[in-house]
Amino acid sequence: MKNLNLIFASLILTFVVISCKKEEKSSEQIKTDSLTSKKEVEQEFHKEWYGIYTGDFNSKPTPTEYGNEILEYKKISVKINRITKDSVYGYSVVNGNQRSFRGIMNENTVGFVLDEPGSDKSDGRFQLKLKEDSLIGDWIAFNKSSVKSPEKTLKLTRKEFAYNPNFMLSKDTSGESDYENPVDWNGGKVKKNSFVNDEGKTETYENTFYRSASDNVFKINASKQKLTERDLKNLRKLDLQIIRNTVFARHGYSFKKETYRQFFENADWYVPVSNNVDSELSPLEKENVALLARLEKYAEDHYDTFGR
Amino acid sequence: MLGFSKSKNVVLKGIVAIAFIYFFGLMLKITSDYIPVSSNVSFLMIKQTEVASRPEYLSIFYLHVYSSIFALMAGFIAVFFDKNLKYLHRFSGRIYVFTTLLFSALSGVYIGIFANGGLLSKVSFVLLGILWFYTTYRSYKEIRKRNILQHKFWMWRSYALALSAITLRMWKVILVYLFHPNPMDVYQIIAWLGWVPNLLLVEYIIKKQKR
Repeated sequence: MKNLNLIFASLILTFVVISCKKEEKSSEQIKTDSLTSKKEVEQEFHKEWYGIYTGDFNSKPTPTEYGNEILEYKKISVKINRITKDSVYGYSVVNGNQRSFRGIMNENTVGFVLDEPGSDKSDGRFQLKLKEDSLIGDWIAFNKSSVKSPEKTLKLTRKEFAYNPNFMLSKDTSGESDYENPVDWNGGKVKKNSFVNDEGKTETYENTFYRSASDNVFKINASKQKLTERDLKNLRKLDLQIIRNTVFARHGYSFKKETYRQFFENADWYVPVSNNVDSELSPLEKENVALLARLEKYAEDHYDTFGR
Repeated sequence: MLGFSKSKNVVLKGIVAIAFIYFFGLMLKITSDYIPVSSNVSFLMIKQTEVASRPEYLSIFYLHVYSSIFALMAGFIAVFFDKNLKYLHRFSGRIYVFTTLLFSALSGVYIGIFANGGLLSKVSFVLLGILWFYTTYRSYKEIRKRNILQHKFWMWRSYALALSAITLRMWKVILVYLFHPNPMDVYQIIAWLGWVPNLLLVEYIIKKQKR
């Protein structure tokens, strides 16, 4: 009897334990249920407007003695990630400066008011209107005295971003520029020359020299072929820099340096979407980038110095 | 040295000594980049293919770098003090001959085989190494036979080739400044420009001396 009692007691105990577990489970069930239902409340709208809008980000024309002048020309990408009933989420990238924003949408006018966090001195508010595939409007800095151009206009068009290792820079045959190959207009070197004029006086004048890339930047693709020292040894520093940075441009990297921006901003395939793409690089690209960086360092230190 | 009238000779010797000290300083600076030993510093940055695929490359390269700086210094002292300070002449001369024959010239031939700039510069550097070895050896042989004049002439040839370490790099600075060529294009040119004119000049001086 005593034994039976014990068995009975243990049976009850196990039952209690089992039921307890069950209860825990069911309460978890409820919790997750409430979570999903909450998500259902945060319904997303207008997914067709999600995406990347990229284009001009220029300062508002200001009157000068020569008429209205635009002081700053920049490119911006605005990415809309999520639109809920009461909020719009996304980020913008300008010259490698990536800032998230959150704002509201007016469904009647298809207008957005988007605010950057305000923790950076160059943060501000976007007021944009969506019309078919274009996003147009302006941006005003929160702190107008902290930035060069506190008011800017945006003219953006929608662009799809998709990585493709085949993208290359191509020769500029538009005729807009006198140069078909990329030229580093940002880093000119001034050289002084002097000559003796008619009156026998020595006059000096300055010439600015700009580096220009060779055809190799249209041929060598560091995203597709395994590069060797031999392939790259005879290249000048600018070629190496462009070949290396074309890898990052393909991944949508937004360049901080003007030197690199100028080469890619006119390429139709280039869509700056991020200020860090390091994790996107393929193993082949990583190897090539390291090799190119090493040769750039060598070119920088040794090309014109007393040495090899 | 090199036979000019005496007062001219003193001035010339002064200029030569100052110029050498300046360029030797630059060579010391280049050599100091390789201290401590590293597998990917300076010139080796573009030699990683050889460093990775040939286990002996790095040690022979460093043998060349570290020994040649002594050869350059010792050789200059020996040629500069060829008549006076006999003890110094013999001491530095021995250092020059032995470092060149045992270490610098042969290691130079080896790294010449893997030189940058393709066949054109490889041929130049291998030939330079062989000639450097041969002229140094001949000069040594001549002095063993107490044949001072021939010893002097062969040593001039030998040291003119050794000086290509400096003249090659001088030409590079000049050509890059003037024409901005691609790095390996300039390399093919200086590979020859570094030592052929030196040798021609020395042959001209020897010819003048013989008369």
